[in-house]
Amino acid sequence: MKLRVQLQCKNLHEYLKELSPEILDRLYNHPATCLAVYRELPSLGKNYVMRMLFLDHPLPQAAVALWVKKDSQKDHDQCVSVLTGLRLWHSQQLQGGLQGFVLNPVFKDNLRIALLGGGKSWADEGSSLGPDRHARDVESLDRYAMERWEVILHFMVGSPSAAVSQDLAQLLNQAGLMRSEPGEAPCITSAGFQFLLLDTASQLWYFTLQYLKTAQSRGMDLVEILSFLFQLSFSTLGRDYSVEGMSESLLTFLQHLREFGLVFQRKRKSRRYYPTRLAITLAAGITANPSSGSASSALGATPGTGDTGFIVVETNYRVYAYTNSELQIALVALFSEMLYRFPNVVVAQVTRESVQQAIANGITAQQIIHFLRTRAHPVMVKQTPALPPTITDQIRLWELEKDRLQFTEGVLYNQFLSQADFEVLRDRAQGLGVLVWQNPAHRVMVVSPHGHSEVKRFWKRQKSHT
Amino acid sequence: MESEDEINILVIVIDVNPIWWGQQAQREPKFTLSKCLDAVMVLANSHMVMARTNKLAIIASLYQESHFLYPSKNWKSGDDIASSGDGKYELLSVANDLFAEQIKKLIDRSKPFLVNNNLQTAIFINFSLSDINRVSKEVDAGQDMKSRILVIKAAEDCTLQYMNFMNVVFAAQKKNVLMDACMLDIDSGLLQQACDITGGLYLKIPQKIALAQYLLWVFLPDADQRSHLLLPPPVHVDYRAACFCHRNLIEIGYVCSVCLSIFCNFSPICTTCETAFKMPLPQMAKTKKKKVKTVN
Repeated sequence: MKLRVQLQCKNLHEYLKELSPEILDRLYNHPATCLAVYRELPSLGKNYVMRMLFLDHPLPQAAVALWVKKDSQKDHDQCVSVLTGLRLWHSQQLQGGLQGFVLNPVFKDNLRIALLGGGKSWADEGSSLGPDRHARDVESLDRYAMERWEVILHFMVGSPSAAVSQDLAQLLNQAGLMRSEPGEAPCITSAGFQFLLLDTASQLWYFTLQYLKTAQSRGMDLVEILSFLFQLSFSTLGRDYSVEGMSESLLTFLQHLREFGLVFQRKRKSRRYYPTRLAITLAAGITANPSSGSASSALGATPGTGDTGFIVVETNYRVYAYTNSELQIALVALFSEMLYRFPNVVVAQVTRESVQQAIANGITAQQIIHFLRTRAHPVMVKQTPALPPTITDQIRLWELEKDRLQFTEGVLYNQFLSQADFEVLRDRAQGLGVLVWQNPAHRVMVVSPHGHSEVKRFWKRQKSHT
Repeated sequence: MESEDEINILVIVIDVNPIWWGQQAQREPKFTLSKCLDAVMVLANSHMVMARTNKLAIIASLYQESHFLYPSKNWKSGDDIASSGDGKYELLSVANDLFAEQIKKLIDRSKPFLVNNNLQTAIFINFSLSDINRVSKEVDAGQDMKSRILVIKAAEDCTLQYMNFMNVVFAAQKKNVLMDACMLDIDSGLLQQACDITGGLYLKIPQKIALAQYLLWVFLPDADQRSHLLLPPPVHVDYRAACFCHRNLIEIGYVCSVCLSIFCNFSPICTTCETAFKMPLPQMAKTKKKKVKTVN
């Protein structure tokens, strides 16, 4: 039995909470990170921060607790714990001996700058370079970004035409999305399959997380590249930015981003770069949680991210995919049986076998449904729910079928000479709470592995007694 | 957690009536129009950074006209606008520059001889509603949209357009658009009614200097968040209606039984639907007949 590995996509908060306090404090030194962190707060938290943003004195905790109604106390507690966990505010003793909250001064200053200005500019502006003779418009940037990103996906499914750099292949390996044996072509893992079914924004965020994990081993400063990443996600599409004043490690990072399609740079040595839509929607992928059903149906339809809807699902389990992209067809084929292929459309059938095959590959029913929903054709999106409930329910049921068997490791005891022997040993095992299964008629029992030695010792003692 | 799919539109309507603001500047030099606009900008920026999908529109109402300050017709997203380079989020600095530029243009252009102090509240709310309607048509299927209008007003009510105003308010209610009102100086009965009908908040701020804080505390949270927060209790609503004949606010009046028009004194023919009221006449005739019978 292969253990099922669920692809875990953390959101920004979960990621930040794992960082050490010193790194967090340094992160808040940049307005862009403050803005990104602020945006991901629970909505109540956003209001708390806004209310305290222009106050210089700490507020008594009791007063803060009175901001919410009685029935929303739970939301309030959650909010307080998030804000404290991210070190956005801390408790401070007030003069009268009361406990008060005060916003993290670094965070407060930088959020104010992001909101109202009055600080240093984020980076040197591209205008100092003068207008670009090879300026790119938004459409060509979109196309470029999508091409680059699809190359990576193509590489993962093993298309011969797709070639990526050594660095990237290594990163895919480290992320556990691909597995490569020495002397063999790398092949995709079960986590990789799940990765392919995510929408672009979530893919990008997952990938970035993996990149950040390895960043420190590459000798990069985590704070520096995180700040840069957030800065990118708040930049304007179709504008050029200058690489002036960037450190050596940041320039390497920029080259990597260029390979993923997050930025466009005409030449490696070019002094300017254009952030693409991928970089700008990066922050949007942070909240898109692949396990939650409702997440980001809108994101899938973001123009230019390439997954505009093309799939029609009918209640007779037929799937029509209006696409000619090899990659998308391969993705649909992961969980369905191909029937016909036309120049602009493929017809597939979702069957019990095909879904169970996919589930055996480590893909969950939730992921299949999410894939279908985010890629649903605009006509499908108009109806609610977008997918026919019979199909979604059936896919879930097929998954449950797999889960009917539960596997427990154990040690089998059999060939007892008498019923009395069996019963003595069985009662002992039951007393210890290690009995997994028994069948008195056949005098067979199974004991969990950690209880085995105890039961064995007892049996030896029992035998020597008689 | 709120879902990212939801689009939240905030339309801010500011009263930039130069007469009121001119008098205000003399009375209280600390709180001028530019101070007020600064506070509005803070609110606008805070709303924009709250979530990626939040949208904003700012409308200034001057005399009889309304003007879009943001987003403006003359500006397309592709235009080159140099960012101020002081660390502000680019989108915000572009919006703020545009806002400041438009209001400057508007004040320069305004004709000083038009000395009508009446603020055409109905017109600008109409404007906001049509803008919200336009955006809602652009929204993709499967996306939710929530919209509200915040009116920041200083000058007095004008009962002349009571009818139009109420019609607009009911339209807003039907479209599920919240209306909030932030009064700077005096209470407004009409806006109180509007907020009460649409489920918005009405607040007359006690201290004008602290406008920015009031806006952030009370008017920044959207409808969902408001259900969790403790906010100022609803005011006692002045539900007086304006009569159709003299536009006076009245508590007791005459109502046409056909079209429900309101009048402050009795008239035999309804001016709106031209129904003739014959009520007192038959009674007169009856009494006469009775009298004749008794004599006989």
